Amino acid sequence: MKTKNLPPELKLGAVIVLLMVVLTLVSPRFLSVSNLTNVIWSVCLIGILGAGSIYARITGGIDLSLGSMAALTGIIADLFMNKYGMNWLVAIGLTVIIGGLIGLFNGFVVAKIKVPAFVVTMAAKTYLYGVALVVSSGAMLAILKPKPFIAIGTGRLLGLPNPIYIMVVLVLTSQFLLKRTSFGRRVMAVGANETAAKLSGVNPDNIRMAAYTISGMTSAVGGVVLASLTQQVFAAAASGIELEVMTALVIGGTSPVGGKGSVIGGLLGAIMVAFIINGLNLLNVPAQFHPIVTGVVIILALLLNEGNLRIGKFGSGSLGKKSAAA
Amino acid sequence: MANTTTKDDVLLDCRKITKSYNGPIVLDQVDFSVRRGEVHALVGENGAGKSTLIKIVTGVASRNSGEMTFNGKELPFDLSRKQAQALGIACIYQELSLIPGMTVAQNIFLGKEPLRKGLRFIDRKMMNSMAQELITKYQFPLNPTDLIDDISIAQRQLVEILKALSDQAHMMIMDEPTSSLTKTEVEMLFRIIHTLKEEGISVVYISHRMEEVYALSDRVTVLRDGKLVSVLDKEQISPAEIIRLMIGHKLEENAVHHKLGKVEGKVVLSVQNLTSVGKFQNVCFELHEGEILGIGGLVGSGRTELVRALYGIDPVDEGTITYLDKPYVPSVPNAIKSGIGFIPEERRLQGILATQSIIKNIGITNLDKVAPRAIVSNKAEKEYADRGIKLLNVRPPVPEHLVGNLSGGNQQKVVLAKWLVRDLKLIFIDEPTVGIDIGAKEEIYDHIRKLASEGVSVILVSSDLPELTRLSHRVIVLRRGRIFTQFSDCVLTSEKILRAASGILEEQTENRVGA
Amino acid sequence: MSSHALRRIILVGLMIVIALILTAINPVFLTVGNLNKMFQEAAQIGIVAIGFTLVMITAGIDMSIGGIIALTAMVAVNFISFTKIPVILFVPVTLLVGALAGYFNGLFITRYKLPAFIVTLATKGILAGLALVVAVKDTQGFVQNVYIQDAVYLWFGGASFGGVFRTTIAFLLLGAGTQYFLKNTKTGTNIYASGANPVAANLTGINVDRTTLGVYVFAGMCASVAAIFISSRMMTAMPELGLGTEMDVIASVVIGGTSFSGGSGDIWGTMLGSVFLALIKNGILKLGMSPWIQPIVIGGIIVVTVIIDVWQKKIAESIATRAKLRRLDAAACEDAA
Repeated sequence: MKTKNLPPELKLGAVIVLLMVVLTLVSPRFLSVSNLTNVIWSVCLIGILGAGSIYARITGGIDLSLGSMAALTGIIADLFMNKYGMNWLVAIGLTVIIGGLIGLFNGFVVAKIKVPAFVVTMAAKTYLYGVALVVSSGAMLAILKPKPFIAIGTGRLLGLPNPIYIMVVLVLTSQFLLKRTSFGRRVMAVGANETAAKLSGVNPDNIRMAAYTISGMTSAVGGVVLASLTQQVFAAAASGIELEVMTALVIGGTSPVGGKGSVIGGLLGAIMVAFIINGLNLLNVPAQFHPIVTGVVIILALLLNEGNLRIGKFGSGSLGKKSAAA
Repeated sequence: MANTTTKDDVLLDCRKITKSYNGPIVLDQVDFSVRRGEVHALVGENGAGKSTLIKIVTGVASRNSGEMTFNGKELPFDLSRKQAQALGIACIYQELSLIPGMTVAQNIFLGKEPLRKGLRFIDRKMMNSMAQELITKYQFPLNPTDLIDDISIAQRQLVEILKALSDQAHMMIMDEPTSSLTKTEVEMLFRIIHTLKEEGISVVYISHRMEEVYALSDRVTVLRDGKLVSVLDKEQISPAEIIRLMIGHKLEENAVHHKLGKVEGKVVLSVQNLTSVGKFQNVCFELHEGEILGIGGLVGSGRTELVRALYGIDPVDEGTITYLDKPYVPSVPNAIKSGIGFIPEERRLQGILATQSIIKNIGITNLDKVAPRAIVSNKAEKEYADRGIKLLNVRPPVPEHLVGNLSGGNQQKVVLAKWLVRDLKLIFIDEPTVGIDIGAKEEIYDHIRKLASEGVSVILVSSDLPELTRLSHRVIVLRRGRIFTQFSDCVLTSEKILRAASGILEEQTENRVGA
Repeated sequence: MSSHALRRIILVGLMIVIALILTAINPVFLTVGNLNKMFQEAAQIGIVAIGFTLVMITAGIDMSIGGIIALTAMVAVNFISFTKIPVILFVPVTLLVGALAGYFNGLFITRYKLPAFIVTLATKGILAGLALVVAVKDTQGFVQNVYIQDAVYLWFGGASFGGVFRTTIAFLLLGAGTQYFLKNTKTGTNIYASGANPVAANLTGINVDRTTLGVYVFAGMCASVAAIFISSRMMTAMPELGLGTEMDVIASVVIGGTSFSGGSGDIWGTMLGSVFLALIKNGILKLGMSPWIQPIVIGGIIVVTVIIDVWQKKIAESIATRAKLRRLDAAACEDAA
């Protein structure tokens, strides 16, 4: 009975440690500080976006506009600072607010108008991309100033790149929000059984709107970090990152049908995928195989997860109608 | 009525059917037989075993022991739904199993559409005319080209019947077919059942509505507590007699008789002329402190709708509510803040967060106490959970256990616990002990009584008549959305409640509330 | 039926109005050359959308069609460039790619009951990766742009009488055939039933899983067919071909009136939707507007259309519920009297 109650995060951590052992045996370069730092670095954006979009997942929805949002907000931040000469802190603050507003709109359409989440956010992904194109005039803009802004992405603290700290702070905050606050309890309740949650005084519509607003805000943060890190912004930045975020969350134990989730698990999931890709790189496997491996990993994770979700399905008919929305 | 059916004309013969779901015996050596061309009613209270028997006959569930033959063929233990259908056993479901977006004809012939000669294409004209043939033969008010979405529930039922007929059904099972029908539609259904009879098709009719059972049936099988009580022939059928058999005279059980005393005390809740179109009309009553008010009535009489509206889940159209001497507008957050709780009718679908622990289940209604400044105190949460577990005697008493893994009784205890750990003034309880073992039932009854003795008012909706009679201080009976009668300060029996629910007025001194 | 018809009429009406406005502003729009091009664009997306429609009718979704297009194009190009096998065989080989991909999608969804959305996103990644693997590369391993010179291959992308592109003709034929199939065969009925009410369908003897699997296979094959026409017309094929067409396909289907919840919709609607979309895109160009407006317009149209659809359904439902409640109320009054 003891092992059954081990939190899934620990189990995942064990798998990761195992993976690290294997990779060290496979290639001596693996365990070097520079390599490990690179891996964690690549996980930063996914960690940030995962920390914010997990609420939408838990309530049974999804946010597919993460990448476009990140790209657009990067462009907007650059514009605020370098075209309108705003103070970089103010610019970032405004950008995050804009991200939140867009997220709120998504949440409104999902919660109040009851349009399936994937349609709303997929459409958002498209038109936000278009807006990004228009605002950036289709160009790739280099960001060379202001210095403090650049420092966000490129600076280091105690030898580690700043983005890692930002990600860790966000992940821990989100984990706290999810596991230790009344809001988090309500989110989980809506995901587990919306009707029972409603009868217990939870407002699922408000919860959903909040979830997508949070997702929008963290996408904006991610966009700022990405812009600062790469020192450039363009409309197609972070394109396709949604799948990587979803993979990380699924591996980390967030259920595709809602009701279960862990931010730290998601981070561990991202790390695991990053290690796998890193291993492939160290083994000189050509880049084309990477998305193939990622795809296989997510399918495996789904197969394993679905096997553990029996409790949630009280013989309630076919999943056919739910698959489109999941 | 020409009664030439002999004992040899038995279509369905069930002997000594027994079924238990991991513990409680739901059907105990039940015999059930249906003759060809007869209308046979199957009656019994909720929990008497009717649905289980039907599930076994239609292949949805499998029996533990007993024999079944249909049309001379022996039915295997692992009878599947498709097999049953193929043999000619048809079930007209309440949640209709028709395909929206398709026409009447398409639905009737789904899966067996007529094809054009030699080609693999559906012969639409042929299908429509075949459908029209059936429609004309039975004189149904239907058109083959009508879309299912556009026709009424009564008409959809007819389509289901036609579907069964085109499947060469020998026996049709109708489960509460009239609960959504108007009077005229009910009459039409009766005519159709009569026609089916004349064709030699048997109809198994399940209903709580005694007047219908009385009007239609050739024979009635009465079940009680999973056992066969009696099979009545036409001459023996009367609504009063059926009710008597359903309830049974258990003179040795004092529980069934209950002396209701006078009710006094402060008025906690006062409801005036509450109306929700199509659900209930002009409901008026008062609820006193520490009183358990039972609400009785048949399925569909508006009981659940009423408590849902009072709790604030569903809107009301007219009427006023006064709570604790102040005007009250029902809404769920309002209710919880004002010390009101709600135990929903369907435990699994509405009551529990199955994938979460007991702690979380109890915590969700107590976030104001456990997370006063939005941050959850794990300590407080656990305390509440421990208190709830102890109070309700939840087994096993492990707060981290997922509620979905608990037994039905313990799940319900958790649902109760999340309210009982609060300072309640009023609680709505809808069907508290469905599917729960006797031991847990009694425990829950004790808790309800204790609540009342501590001054909490309870509104109890239940189809379990002994439960209703044992627990309530006063009972109001709903019929078709209106309060039909009230029982207080008298001796109350299950039989009296059921008679009232069926519309049978008592001659004695009950208060008959004006409709 | 009547709401569908109304929708079609509005759509056609809108298209005519837009066409007139465009012609007024830029007469080049109404030339035969431009119209042929526009219909060809519609056809390219439309062929994929036809298969996608069937998937949506079963209440499913397939996000991997872009990957299928990419992989098929790469396989075809390889086939042509490097094998000595007679070119006639290249058609069935390419169809096989789509069929296999669709089969795997359907397998995960029906047999293992995995959520369609995530699974097809995953297979898209796998297929896109495979496309890169299969792509023709130069000696240093960089992907080479292959110029298609094979006559048979090029035939597909060409035009015939009146300058009408073969793609368009294929689109019309496939569309009409699929529509007829949907409405007039048992399998077609099974597809609708599986999406509208799978439980009832199962009871009637329909094998919902098998039907659904078949639908994904068909969708995969449609994507492959489109890949051939697209790469043929462009006379070249890159491994990114088709990635990103999902939005256009979804837009076409949604505009055409097929619902995500399954059980409704048809090919005529999708075909109208594809033409409508191509019209918008063409119009944006002809009006001299920045091509960046395109994703905004498409995304916006999808959101607006879906919102209208959901609203309309809600209104219809609430009218029906109100009517039902009124009837029950009247019935109760009858009885009480």
